[in-house]
Amino acid sequence: MATPVIMPRQGQSVESCIIGKWHKKKGDPVSPGDLLFTYETDKSTFDEEAKVGGILLDIFFEEGDDVPCLTNVCVIGDAGESTDEFNPNKKEEEKTPETTQAKQAEGESPTAPVKEEQAAIISRKEGERIFISPRARHLAEKAGVDILSTPGTGPNGRIIERDVAGMIEKGKVATAAAFKDYQGKALDVTGSGIGGRITMSDLAAPGALESMASVATTKAAETGPDYEEVANPTIRKTIAKAMHASLSNMAQLTLNSSFDMTEINEFRAKIKASKETLDLPNITINDIILYAVSRTILDHPYCNAHYYDDKTLLFKNVHLGVAVDTPRGLMVPTLFNANRMSLSEISTTSKSLGEACRNGTILPDSLKGGTFTVTNLGTLGIESFTPVINPPQTCILGVNTIETKVKMAGSELKPYPAMTLSLTFDHRALDGAPAARFLKALVVNLENFSALLAR
Amino acid sequence: MPKSQFVDPDILRKPSKITFTDIDVNAYNKTVQEESAIYTKADFMRIYHDMALIREFETMLYSIKTTNSYNGLEYNNPGPAHLSIGQEASAVGQTYLLDTDDYIFGSHRSHGEILAKGLSAIEKLSENELVEIMESFFDGAVLKAIEPTADKSDIKKLAREFLVYGALAEIFARETGFNKGLGGSMHAFFTPFGIYPNNAIVGGSATIALGSALYKRANKKPGIVICNIGDGSMGCGPVWEAMMMSVMDQIKQLWGEGYNKGLPLIFNFFNNNYGMGGQTRGETMGYDFLARAGAGITPNQMYAERVDGYNPLAVIDAMRRKKEIINKEGGPVLLDVLTYRISGHSPSDASTYRSKEEIEAWEKHDVLQGFERQMVEAKLATPEEFAAIREEIKALITKVCGLAIDEKISPRMDLYKNPLAIESLMFSNQKIEKMEDREPEMLLPRGEDPRSKQIAKKIRYAYDADGKPVSKNRVFQLRDAIFEAIRDKYYTDPTLISYGEDVRDWGGAFAVYRGLTEAVPYHRLFNSPISEAAIVGSGVGYAMSGGRAIVELMYCDFIGRAGDEIFNQLAKWQAMSAGVIKMPVVLRVSIGSKYGAQHSQDWTALMAHIPGLKVVFPVTPYDAKGLMNSALAGTDPVVFCESQRIYDIGEQFHKEGVPEDYYEIEIGEPDIKREGKDITFLTIGTSLYEALKAANELETKYNMSAEVIDARSITPFNYEKVIESVKKTGRIVLASDACARGSALKEMAQTISELAFDYLDAPPVVIGARNWITPCFELEEHFFPHATWFLDAIHQKIQPLPGYFPVQNFTELEQIRRNKLGV
Repeated sequence: MATPVIMPRQGQSVESCIIGKWHKKKGDPVSPGDLLFTYETDKSTFDEEAKVGGILLDIFFEEGDDVPCLTNVCVIGDAGESTDEFNPNKKEEEKTPETTQAKQAEGESPTAPVKEEQAAIISRKEGERIFISPRARHLAEKAGVDILSTPGTGPNGRIIERDVAGMIEKGKVATAAAFKDYQGKALDVTGSGIGGRITMSDLAAPGALESMASVATTKAAETGPDYEEVANPTIRKTIAKAMHASLSNMAQLTLNSSFDMTEINEFRAKIKASKETLDLPNITINDIILYAVSRTILDHPYCNAHYYDDKTLLFKNVHLGVAVDTPRGLMVPTLFNANRMSLSEISTTSKSLGEACRNGTILPDSLKGGTFTVTNLGTLGIESFTPVINPPQTCILGVNTIETKVKMAGSELKPYPAMTLSLTFDHRALDGAPAARFLKALVVNLENFSALLAR
Repeated sequence: MPKSQFVDPDILRKPSKITFTDIDVNAYNKTVQEESAIYTKADFMRIYHDMALIREFETMLYSIKTTNSYNGLEYNNPGPAHLSIGQEASAVGQTYLLDTDDYIFGSHRSHGEILAKGLSAIEKLSENELVEIMESFFDGAVLKAIEPTADKSDIKKLAREFLVYGALAEIFARETGFNKGLGGSMHAFFTPFGIYPNNAIVGGSATIALGSALYKRANKKPGIVICNIGDGSMGCGPVWEAMMMSVMDQIKQLWGEGYNKGLPLIFNFFNNNYGMGGQTRGETMGYDFLARAGAGITPNQMYAERVDGYNPLAVIDAMRRKKEIINKEGGPVLLDVLTYRISGHSPSDASTYRSKEEIEAWEKHDVLQGFERQMVEAKLATPEEFAAIREEIKALITKVCGLAIDEKISPRMDLYKNPLAIESLMFSNQKIEKMEDREPEMLLPRGEDPRSKQIAKKIRYAYDADGKPVSKNRVFQLRDAIFEAIRDKYYTDPTLISYGEDVRDWGGAFAVYRGLTEAVPYHRLFNSPISEAAIVGSGVGYAMSGGRAIVELMYCDFIGRAGDEIFNQLAKWQAMSAGVIKMPVVLRVSIGSKYGAQHSQDWTALMAHIPGLKVVFPVTPYDAKGLMNSALAGTDPVVFCESQRIYDIGEQFHKEGVPEDYYEIEIGEPDIKREGKDITFLTIGTSLYEALKAANELETKYNMSAEVIDARSITPFNYEKVIESVKKTGRIVLASDACARGSALKEMAQTISELAFDYLDAPPVVIGARNWITPCFELEEHFFPHATWFLDAIHQKIQPLPGYFPVQNFTELEQIRRNKLGV
């Protein structure tokens, strides 16, 4: 029966020992008491003697090897016996390192976790004992932070450095000169001084005085906060959601191109002149652009599309969203099948949709289903902007104001009326070149509007 | 226990008897007439003179203490004066044969011994030697006080005046005294005459004298050492420890040729029958004759005998015989010198414990009158001659007393003019590579011991090239670092000696000394008995005599056993000697863990509290070697704390690894182990490693970067680095494994509060061990601070951490509750 010899553990803290010297070779006969090998700990050298007699059948470690305690080092037995089962090198298992991490004690915790303090400006009463660390007080003095208005998030509500730093970050700091007037007033004043410091002139500004007055009044009456709370109406929430989703989900970018309005102006002049005789509505520039889009876009199917992660819907008809500014906020009614409408129909329908929006009588179904949107800030003098796409549409066209530009006519500079179009497209749905091609085609069609009408 | 000695059961189990030889009691019985062959008349008269001088000196002090006047001089001495009127013969008899190579150590009642030994030394020194001593001592400051009025034609007479003045000025706490007034009555001494410190702790000189004798033996120095202690000290543990250690068999049996003779030491008990007011014989102890104790200590009974200390010739005779024994066979010797103090314990002693009759009976045995009567009866001298001696002495004492109370001639230290006068003496702060210039005696060339060979194969940085930790058996450990510094010093300083429990063969309980056994001869590295007081106290005596010692207490917890030796002896003698004495002693103390309440305590605070000790606690191999090198190069006592948790740790911070060459780390300089900007951790001891864990967690979970500073030293301590850090971070947590209350950290936290108050965002927070007994290892996580405690403390006391659930309660209510209960 073969007997393994283990590396003894010389003390609790010893994890492994180094074999110093072998006094027997593999195959040597050994008797009980024979010195087998010496081994070393970091503290001392020890002798390992044979406890049984026989043949030293196998040696698993050499001199100098670092052997974990209680591991088999060699085997003594009768000639011919197998030693495999004792060989630690054959069943090498990675010992998981001892985890000495302190156990998280369970049960009740002596204090509750801190809530993230709201860092709103607060207002302490004059003469109220303020608990503030020396460091925070110094920083506040240096930076011009009003400690009467500074919330304390340290132990027991002590104002600590991070609280003052928070005030500085929010710009709640005043210059030394302004500090006396500023202190204790919890003013919501924006600073215009160095590093956003509130200056004497900021305090002297009408808003500030109002604010100061209102604060004073509020403080005197102690009637709650110095602002009016207005609940967000659903439309605002809807817009907010849609616009934010749009920007956060899409890869939007805007192309700008301008066109010569000379022909459109001539066309509008003619219509105006014969309006009554021909019973035509008042055709606006926006109507003309809607018409041009409806007649151009079908050649550029990815611009008249809905984009989803796994598919794109390319529409066969053009349903134009027309952005309308209403007292309740932005609304976008849809001009369905605009590609099948005459210019006159487009003009009449879009006007009635706009009215309905402004009056609040618009049907919900009319606010859906657009495949492309046109938005117009031109009447407000905007020269160029980046309209935000109404998902899942892939494009939106921004219409800007009319400017006078010049171009070379032969050797002469010639002024002409020009309008810039801003096309935002979703780069996920289409690339820059196809979008640009659409915009270019639109521009060409607008510059040659009579020819477009003739088609 | 060395393997060369065999504990043989066959011999040890045999029946036999312990036999004793008779111990002589007052065996001397010769008359002056009979002794005329040995002593000339001048010798006899000198014996009388010296006794009379002591008597007059003490009479003067008694008069001043009790009446504020002496011989027309007026003076009030508020300091102590433990007089020995009646004991003069024992002092003079003892020192009669001694010269300046012979050292005496004394007690609180040692004025007589100082004077007797000084007078004996003056007798034996040449005039040139005397002039040299007087002129060089404190650059002649003592001499200058007496010079203008002294008769310089007679150098011996001048020297006697110098001696009396130096001692008295010291008693009166004058800067012109032998120890600049910093020793005072109970501590006055003058090493150039072989007068070593007198000790106000009863029996305090026993262990110190042992160390001095060790120094003489281990460095082959001439002379003997006498430990003068009283019969009251027979009840003191350290006295017994000193006797036990002084007779250790190994000196004769194991120490090499030239060193294997018993120590040249006499435990001389001036047995005046009282320990203060307690009668040592008949009341507080039960030995009957003190000399009996010798029979209980060694087979030679320490050559003990009772000597009649009321007869100077009997004492001289005993000293002559004992010196001979010491020279031939070696000591130590125990002498029970019978004496009696007529004066009280101190001038306030009302003698409530003894009868008037008793005092009167001893006065009838008065040694001065008795000696004079014998001499006159033997017709060796006339009463007039004795009267003349007394007159001369009275004139001398009167003159010296006048000088010593003169504020101009004998001013006190002016701490207004020189406020640094005392502080500059607290440490000697010198660098002395070797205490003596000669070849150190070693058994092997440097580096050839087995340990050094093993170390040569080790990796001197904790991480390999790939950043993986090197295994414990292959890495250069903290214990190796300490070993290396000590080994190297052994090859540099021939006086270096080290001892403690199990330091040889075993290599120290934690294997720091392993390998030194093979390289260092026995007399320089040996196992002491389990006598902590004697281990430390003898280190003090060894250093005081001119050597350098490393003494070891196996566990920090054993400091209590050596309390007086650390707190009153090791710490104080440099300053109490006004810089005459240096104290190059390194006291190694190992701070335990896992072993419960009496083996796991960090007592750095106790040592840091005592002025005069340097205290260091390195926790990395690089720091350990550098600080040990510094400690061993200096001349101050350094308590070198080690931790058993980390003897096997490798160097994790000094990327170049621990240098093989010599380098020093300045004692008192903390070290930034990790840089950070949001909070500072200052640690003493192994808490460093917990602090680093906490720093990592703060960084990863709470986006706070912690700067971790390892104090390394506790005394002295340079706060500059810490304050700089706190100015930057505004927050500090201090941690160590010492019980928090009264810990060194509390001292540091308070100092930081003062030095950085305006920069603090929260009070400095101390996390130490709980104020409990140390529980068993399995419960230690509830007792010693670990990483989570740092976060707990930060969350509750400094800056709440978002979403953190603390485990330990650091709230103010809890703090008040615990303090209320004292836990």
